[in-house]
Amino acid sequence: MIALLIANSLALASLLIMLASGLALIYGLRDVINFGHGAIYMLGAYLGYTVSLVGGFWLALVVVPILLALLGIAFEYLALRPLQGRSHIEVALVTLGLGIILGQIIIFFYGGVARSVDAPQILSGSVTVLNLSYPVYRIFLIVMGLGSCVLLALWLRFTSSGLHVRAVSQDPSVARMMGINADRLSLLVTSLSTAFAGVAGVLAGPYMSIDPGMDVTMIVNCLIIVVIGGTGSIGGAIVAALLFGFMQVAGSVFLPNIAALVPYILLMVVLLIAPRGIGRGRVLS
Amino acid sequence: MSNRATTAASERVATIGATGGPSLRLPLTLVAVAIVFVVGAVAPTQFAGDFVLRLGNEGLLLGMLALSVAFLMNQAGLVALGAASIYGGAGLLFAIAMNDWNLTPMGALCASFLIIVVYATVLGALIVRTNPLAFMMLTLAAGEMISHAVMLEGLRDYTGGADGLVVSFKGTVFGMEAADFASPARFWVVVWLATWLAGLALWAVGRSRLGAILRAVRENEERMRFSGFDTYLPRLIAYVLVNIVAAVAGLLHVLNAGFVSPESLGISVSTNALVAALMGGIAGSVGPILGGLIFSFAQDEFGGRGLTQLLTGIAIVVFIVVFPRGVVGGLSGMAWLRTRAFGGRRETS
Amino acid sequence: MLQIENLSVSYGSVRALSDVDLEVRGDGILHGVIGPNGAGKSTLLDAVCGRRRPIAGTVRYRNEDITRRSVAWRRRQGMARSFQRTSIFQDLTVHEQLHLVAQHLGDDRLDDVIEVMDLTGYLHQKAGRIAYGVQRRLDVALALIGRPHLLLLDEPGAGLSAAETLHLFEHLRDLVRERKIAAVVVEHDVDAVFACCGKVTVLDLGRHLATGTPQEIRANHRVVAAYLGTAA
Repeated sequence: MIALLIANSLALASLLIMLASGLALIYGLRDVINFGHGAIYMLGAYLGYTVSLVGGFWLALVVVPILLALLGIAFEYLALRPLQGRSHIEVALVTLGLGIILGQIIIFFYGGVARSVDAPQILSGSVTVLNLSYPVYRIFLIVMGLGSCVLLALWLRFTSSGLHVRAVSQDPSVARMMGINADRLSLLVTSLSTAFAGVAGVLAGPYMSIDPGMDVTMIVNCLIIVVIGGTGSIGGAIVAALLFGFMQVAGSVFLPNIAALVPYILLMVVLLIAPRGIGRGRVLS
Repeated sequence: MSNRATTAASERVATIGATGGPSLRLPLTLVAVAIVFVVGAVAPTQFAGDFVLRLGNEGLLLGMLALSVAFLMNQAGLVALGAASIYGGAGLLFAIAMNDWNLTPMGALCASFLIIVVYATVLGALIVRTNPLAFMMLTLAAGEMISHAVMLEGLRDYTGGADGLVVSFKGTVFGMEAADFASPARFWVVVWLATWLAGLALWAVGRSRLGAILRAVRENEERMRFSGFDTYLPRLIAYVLVNIVAAVAGLLHVLNAGFVSPESLGISVSTNALVAALMGGIAGSVGPILGGLIFSFAQDEFGGRGLTQLLTGIAIVVFIVVFPRGVVGGLSGMAWLRTRAFGGRRETS
Repeated sequence: MLQIENLSVSYGSVRALSDVDLEVRGDGILHGVIGPNGAGKSTLLDAVCGRRRPIAGTVRYRNEDITRRSVAWRRRQGMARSFQRTSIFQDLTVHEQLHLVAQHLGDDRLDDVIEVMDLTGYLHQKAGRIAYGVQRRLDVALALIGRPHLLLLDEPGAGLSAAETLHLFEHLRDLVRERKIAAVVVEHDVDAVFACCGKVTVLDLGRHLATGTPQEIRANHRVVAAYLGTAA
């Protein structure tokens, strides 16, 4: 029972980690919260649906992140760079507006209906592990989530760009004074963030239904995770995502009547106890 | 409260520095304002048809909501994205109080008002401590929390779930009956009055010492602490005040409509209020209210084609990127206070 | 007036201050704090005024242990701080921000502060528009409001020319003497410090190196070595 709970939490957390860390990365670098992140995820999911219909799931998993990385580049050049001088609130509001626009465009093309995507043959069905039957796809999800965590950690630790990102995130003023090329770094981080959102979107298809409200739901989830984890702290975001996933899954099992509210209760409790969030973040002014 | 006349007159006579209370005005300005007030209350009911009046009523209600958003943005630098949860929430509580708790209309009004204000205070106490960006995120989350709470299976009987709640009342509220509130012409007078009261009240707060402290905290929170100020309480007070305005608007809405739907708590109402505030200008009281009216009439134009949400998104981007000074003068830091007194008055755009 | 005992402050794993003792009396002389880069001078002020929690040690102000008190409380009790990176209200006029703080702290002699800091000609200009040197003076002026008992000034001469810094220090020396208040001034410009401070403390790599009169410090070999030798 516990094992099932943990496995389900990890599956959900995998998606959340991919999304939340992308959000945290941009925030750590630019002090900007991309309120349109949920819409980008939704775009990834719907594009994944379309590409899957045409060329299969695996093709979608490759093509969609690339497309969304391109979108990220456009976002960086057309939105983030020109607005660099403006206050963080203004940029955040612009991303909110862009997210709304993107969401509406998606609804326009796909109609306001939910879609479902089938998992590819290899990943469908269940497998028996230790006398427990568990869906293969969720194991795949967990592997992907773990994999992206590991990749992210490796990148941050061992590459020079990763080092720069960590430096700027921890102490923006010092790092910028050190002459780190923030622009190039930002382009990399933004496109990575959107690409990851695309991966999460494609992966989400067979796992949960794709519906027109998913952008709002997901951005709120991500915001909660980022706040709990301490905005800007990627490690904190990962821990918070795990916690969130666990609470969400446990809530739907033990407290089904208020399951939808569990994440918010978690948020309020964390705000009460640790206003700074879990990680070494910059939530408080 | 009228913009240009007041600004010009007061700049001539304004005293420097904030003391409690408004600065001197020439009698001419007062007369002009009074005329606008009276004419505005009466003329539409005489000359405009029911349909236009209905739009006007919606516009003023949205304007009040926009006013609450704008005031907090302009004075405290905080963007509240959960205004709808207070607006719709107040209405929902009234409906529940009437339907399930069997209170008199006045009793229900008071109860729902109290509950929603307590909620806003508790929420504010938790989130006002954070930086403006986190605050924005948290108000969005809180708004969604209320939306989800309303749709919970277990509470369906109370809240009506996706269907919403119908509420009708017998008896009187402030001497008016249900039919009075439902009538577009009579409701217009009520809303017009309420809007003026809210606008004047917030304007007065903006001109007061609290307003000065809020703006200084917005400018440089750390230095304010280092100058001996408690920077938490002023912002909490401001948050509660604007939510009082939102709650009043929400209660008026339910009195008029006789119906509460989950949409009125939803995020689109919050973003509508934001857009209305941005369009009209977040400084002062006139701008947001005007923005509400403009939005309401524009929505009638475009809403039929299902374009409202898309245009909302576009409007947010356009008004922040293209019209930073004139309209959103408050946010870009260049035109925060153009008058010499500490007035959060309307910018000349 | 101010006693610091065994003060230690860390930023994560970096120890910025170790076991620093310091005593400042309210005798109307400027107490300068100098030291090479990374000596922990600003950190010392941060810890005293409450901006940073020390990991060990106590801060006693007017015989009371205030180590746990909030920043705002300390200010209201007369401990005022100015900032190395000018921290003023860009969009308020000079007069507006001074008046706001003066009203809050119950100071009705704002004119004194304005005069002492030479701000008379700039009162109705937005703080963001005035020259940098004037902004520095405004930063200090904000700290002077409310007749503080203890001034903590963080590099008031930062970004100013040597002449301007010396001029500012002379103002401060006279002000402090007149009002018989205590003042701790962190500064890089050693000449100004030696010229105007009655007492000087030297920090190096987070540790207390020496305290004495300017002459004593100048003659101290270890201080010279710290500045010229192995110090970062």
